[in-house]
Order: sequence, then structure tokens, then C-alpha cells
Amino acid sequence: MSVNATPVAMTRRGFRDVPVPVVVIALAALIYVTAAIVTGQANQISAAGLTGLLQRTVALGLVGLGQTFAILVGSIDLSVAALISTVAVLASYLMQGDPSMIVPAIAACVALSLGVGAINGVLVAYWGINPLIATLSTGLILQGLLSASFTFLSGSVAPSFQALAYQNLLGVPLPVLLLAVFALAAWFVLAKTRFGAHLYAAGGNPDGAKLAGLRVQRLVLGAHVIASFAACVAGLYLAARLQSGTPWIGRDGIYDLESIAIVVIGGTLLSGGKGGVLGTIAGVLLFASLDASFNMFGVDAFLKQVLRGAIVIAAVSVYAVRNRGHVA
Amino acid sequence: MSPVLEMRSISKAFTAVKALDQVDFDCRAGEVHVICGENGAGKSTLMKVLGGSYRPDEGEIRLDGAPVRFQHPREARAAGISIVHQELSLLPFRSVAENIFTGMEPTRWGLLDRRQMDERARALLQRLGSSIPTGAQVADLSIAEQQLVEIAKAMLLDAKVLVMDEPTAALDDRDAHALLRLISRMKAEGVAIIYISHRMPEVMAIADRITVLKDGRLVWTRDRQDATVNAIVTAMVGRELQDFYPARAATEPGQSVLQIRGAGNRHLRDIDMVARAGEIVGIAGLEDSGKGALAQALFGDQPFTQGEVEIGGKPVVLHSPRQAIAAGVGYLPGDRKREGIVPRQSVRDNALLTLQAMAAVLSLPNAGVRSVAEADRNLRTMDVRAGDFGQEIATLSGGNQQKAIIARWLMQNPDLFVFVEPTRGIDVAAKAAIYETMRALANEGRAIVMISSDLPEIVGVSDRILVMHQGRIAGELPGGAEEGAVMQLALGVTGNAAEREMV
Repeated sequence: MSVNATPVAMTRRGFRDVPVPVVVIALAALIYVTAAIVTGQANQISAAGLTGLLQRTVALGLVGLGQTFAILVGSIDLSVAALISTVAVLASYLMQGDPSMIVPAIAACVALSLGVGAINGVLVAYWGINPLIATLSTGLILQGLLSASFTFLSGSVAPSFQALAYQNLLGVPLPVLLLAVFALAAWFVLAKTRFGAHLYAAGGNPDGAKLAGLRVQRLVLGAHVIASFAACVAGLYLAARLQSGTPWIGRDGIYDLESIAIVVIGGTLLSGGKGGVLGTIAGVLLFASLDASFNMFGVDAFLKQVLRGAIVIAAVSVYAVRNRGHVA
Repeated sequence: MSPVLEMRSISKAFTAVKALDQVDFDCRAGEVHVICGENGAGKSTLMKVLGGSYRPDEGEIRLDGAPVRFQHPREARAAGISIVHQELSLLPFRSVAENIFTGMEPTRWGLLDRRQMDERARALLQRLGSSIPTGAQVADLSIAEQQLVEIAKAMLLDAKVLVMDEPTAALDDRDAHALLRLISRMKAEGVAIIYISHRMPEVMAIADRITVLKDGRLVWTRDRQDATVNAIVTAMVGRELQDFYPARAATEPGQSVLQIRGAGNRHLRDIDMVARAGEIVGIAGLEDSGKGALAQALFGDQPFTQGEVEIGGKPVVLHSPRQAIAAGVGYLPGDRKREGIVPRQSVRDNALLTLQAMAAVLSLPNAGVRSVAEADRNLRTMDVRAGDFGQEIATLSGGNQQKAIIARWLMQNPDLFVFVEPTRGIDVAAKAAIYETMRALANEGRAIVMISSDLPEIVGVSDRILVMHQGRIAGELPGGAEEGAVMQLALGVTGNAAEREMV
């Protein structure tokens, strides 16, 4: 057929063709370095400074990785914050400082989050409940149960478990390595496996994916289980970092909304089917370097939120312009 | 030869409506079996039953003589039934290769084998005569190219039965012909091909057998030699073809309603045209000729950046649809689902949409009982067939949706109507009704500009034909001109090359 003309976008090289993660990371680096130089804290641009920066990305980064899966299939997970609190509290309650309870506690937390993820998935994929409503509700239920029973659920994690959050391996903090491993695994799944390709299909065009023979409902369920699992890992990390969980860890960290924000900043389409975890990692780096810069300037923490909001708006506007002319 | 596919006494009901009633259908290896029928006749339902999207209430399906029951499209696909869907089922942000292999990705050591995907995708597209880059993002392709990707996707498996549901609806004539050639080739390879189309010339060109459905029932199945276009259309709608296109205007056209001088933008150059009261001006051209851009410019969607436009003798600025509406332009978009209707709102609210949009901000919603009554009157004038104008417009057939959109514009009483692909994907009976409406609108003293890729429609309906090529108006022809002459201008060639290619 007469379709020899090269599509316009293939021939035009320019800003549009630079991958989103590269742009976002460059921006993060620019902000961080500028802040360090302007405030005369050039020592922040050192291995130690950067390690500190990376350390700040771990919890939000983990949640964001999971959130990326939920958003890619066209869903969303608002229950992550409550799940993080639940996991953190449950882990410290079960351990009570006893190292022999580390493994059972972790197993219980993982089982709980897989269950929550499965419930979210069933509500969204099989019952057809709008994901905002479904996951908001499971989150509320978790938070409610947790707050009601917290007086009984006190305790702290085992010292050796806590040490994990502070240890280094080859000069890199263990949590940073943990995030890197999870990011790599998530990238691998999305880019290199059939399951990943199917997730993109389910999010990009659910009806088309079904007609192509994919079991879309299972894919959505799977994405929710992954999102909850990632929140569980973040919860365990926070419990280790803070020695004991409180029922407000997740809520105070705004992990639900901020994880969505970094996913979107990373160029993942909120309606699903486009994006990936590299963007999400870039997004969390941007947030972390903003935080670090504000600390260097000694600026009020609330102003930080203003700038975060502005960044999200700016990013989404830029993507809207970049995508202009697309049929999405 | 025994049929590859047999469907016996298939029935399927949705709540009270019987979409299929005891339908028998079969298809042999190496034949093209065309299914004709109005929208709502049950063609798509029958194919959804075959493809595993619907489970039949009654009846059985046999593949190679063995009974099958599909619970999910994946089972039908695995059994060798491939369907080219009418609604594009592609992933806009994934590559061509990824789209073709959706759900069938090859792996190597458990990992996606992208090299194999690219190579096989390229080979498939080459078979289709296309050189779309396999790494291109689908969102960057034209509709015709996307349709090709869709076809390549269906051809990925060595299908026993290939179903094509109006595959040429989005293609211009040149691409459609290439597709028809491909179908003959696949037929020779022994594929059983089920083809659904509204384009009669196409049906007669490729069919071995023809089945007509009406109201969910089988009317007849005949060999092509025993069927005529007239017989098919009569069976589909119960009327003769002679009165298919309405009579042209008896009177000379009146004053010019639309006058464009030296207009252009990124896609258009040197547009000079006039449309007078009482006439239908057909705009023909190939896919990227600029005919779509002209329609968008007239409605202020992609405005002209140079030149002058006068409507009713007054110079107007058309920089937004709102300005165009205020200037007296009515617009029927080509992509009805995306640009025409608000699917989840009622038929009545859809008819009221533009009236509400143009009303003063503080006026009452729906502007009260009077405009509701007027909307209902217009809907009845347009013969929109709905149980109740309060029902969701998405439940109506394409033809009825189109009529409801025309009713919307009648509320506004524009001087100029721009129809874009007015009958794309609409069945024959509803087509005739829409042509009559266009003629009636013209006879009431309006000017009609009809942009269409359907050559018989251009030639049969227009009073004058403007043919576009590479963003310019390449020439003008009188209504009823030879299709070949239109094609020649559209292809930008002189001599008979155009006609030869069309054969």
C-alpha cells in the first residue's frame, strides 16, 4: 500500500526525542548543584552528600515503583500510605525487639500486603469499581483498623533488623542498594518480559488487549498486588529506619499522593499504557534534590510543598506540549 | 468442499432485543464470504460470537467439523480465528512491532525477543505492501497506516478464518485497492475470509458468496454470480437502488453563502472556493490531500492563517469553532464517536448540546421546556429512531447518531453545513436518508460542503465537485462526473494513469 512516506515525527529530531528520565535527572542535578554552590556548601557535592541525597529517595522511590505498575495498567493505588503504616506497625508489634521474629514478621507483612493488593485488584478489575474509590476505601479501612487497635500494637523492631537500614555495602547504604535492585527488577519486568508488555497493552487499550487474547482483569490484579508489595517493602524499611512503626508514618509522608506525583513527573501517562520506572526514579530524585536544596537554603518546609506542586504542574504541561498531535 | 467454519442456528439476545435469531453461516477455505446488512442487522454480533467476545444463547460453532465453544477471545484466536476490528484496537504509545505482537510476543530465554518481533513485523508489513517503520510509535501514524498495522496484527497467526469488519472504512481508494489485492492473495493461500462491508463495488469485486442479514435474521446466502447490487440492497433494506441518491437541485443555486479567497495554513495553500445557497459542493481527495484540513479550517478548528473568508457576504474570522458557529457554520465531524456525540448522555441532550454551548452563561440549562420541545421536534423531523429521546445516544446505530447530530445543528439553523464523511460506517438505508436530508437542507437555501472519501457518494450527491491534491484545489468537476476523472485529479496525474490504477 502507498504508505511509503516516513511519519513526520520520525524525521524530526529535537527536544521531543530526549527521553523523559534524562531531562528530569538533569533538572534534579542542576537544582542540587546550584543550591550547593549558591549556599556555599560545595561539600554537598561529594560522595557523602550524594549518598545522603539518595537515602532520602528510598521510601518514596519504593512506593513509586509499585505505583508505576498500578498507573501503567490504567488504575491507581491510594491505599499505599495506609498500608505502609500498617506494615510498619505490624512489623514492630510482631518483632518486639526479638531477632528470631524478623523472618516471621516480614512474612506476615508480605502476606498482608499481598492480600490487600489482591483485594484492591478484585475490586478494580473484577467488580469494576473506580480505582480511586476502591483503593481510597481500602486505605480508609486499613487506617481505621490500625488507629483503633494501635494501643495494643506497640513494640519495636529487632536491633539487627534496624541495623539493616543503617549498614553500608561497598560504601553504599543498604537501603539505596535495595531501591536500586527493586528499580532494576521493575524495569526488567516492564521492558523485557511478556508480562510487562501485557501490562502496557492492558493499560493502553483494555478492549483491544482483550480482543488480542489478553486476560486484562488478571493483569490489573497483578499490578495491584505489585503496588501493594512495593508499599510493604517501603513500610518495612521505614520501620527499620525509625525503630518502630506508628500508625501515621504513611499518612505523614503523604506517600499516596507523592508517589503518584513522582510517577507523573517521570512521564508515565495517568491514563495508563505509557511510561516506565526509570521516569519514576528520576521523579523521586527530583523531589529529593528539591528537599535537599531547601534544607541548604534553610527554607520553611511548607514552601517545599508549594514548589513540589509547581513542579508537578510544570512537568505535566511540558508533556502535554510534547505529546501534542498524538491521538491519545 | 466442506466448510472450515460452520455456524448453525446461532441466537443471541440482549435483554429484550434479539440481536441474532437462528442464523446459519459457513465459510470455506479459499473463499471470500461477504456479509451485508444494515447497521443493527447482526453482522458485528455474529462476528463477536465467532471471536469469543459473546457467548451465543443457542446454536453451535464448528471449526473443521469439530464443535467449539469460546469463553474468551484468546481461545478463538488460538483456534485460528483472526479478526481485524472495525474499532482500532491498537496501543497508541507502543511501537508498530509491539502492537502487532500484542499477546503473542515471542520470547528467547524467557525474555522478549525484540529482534524477532521487528523482523517478523517488517516481513508482515512488506506482504501488505507497506514500509511503515516497525519502531514507529502508532500514535504518529495516519489512520490508514494504523489500519494496516491492525491487519498485520490479525495476520500474525496463520489464521484459518480471517474476519475483516469494514477494513476499508478508514482507507482512501488507493489503499483500499491494495488491501483488496492482498485479500485475493490470502484467498489463494487457502484462508477462509469473512468480509463485512458497505461498499457495494468492493463487495461485488471480491465476494465468492454473499450473505445478507436483516434484523438479526438470515435473508439469503448466494453465490456472487446469482447476486446483483440491486438484489443485495433490496434484501438489506427492502427498497430499490434507483432512488438511492436524491435528485439534484432543480433550480439554479442562489447567492454565494461561502466565499474563500486565497486562504491557506500549514496544510492548505491557495484555497479559492464558493458555495452557493441550494447547492452541495463535494470535496474529494486522497487521505492526505488536505480535504480534512479544509473542513477543520472552515469550522475554525485548525484555522486559516491567510486569506479571506466571507459567509453570507460578510467577512468573518474563523479562529475557533465558537466563532464559526456564530458565523453560521454547522459541522458534522467525520469521527462521530470521538467528535460528534457525547456517548453517555441522552439523545435529547446531544441534540441540545450546541444550543447550550452557545447560550449565555447565566441562562437556564436546556433553556426550558420550549427548547426541549424543539429538540424533540427536530429529532422527529430527522426521523431519529430511538425508543425514547431520554436514552443514551451510544445505544443508537451510527445512522441514527448522525441524524441526531444533524438535529443538533437544526436548532442553530446555520447557513452553511460542513459534512465530513457523512456516511462513513453507516448502512445503506440510513445513507439514503442522510443524502435526502442533505438535499433537503440545501433546498431550504443553505450551502452544503461535503468532504468525502467515498467516490460514488461524491459523484452521486454533489452538484459540483472540487478535487484536492497536496493541499490545493486541483480542479473542479460537475456533479455526476466520471469517478475516473475525479481520481485523476486526486492523484495529481494527467492522462489515463489514474484510471488504470483504479481497475
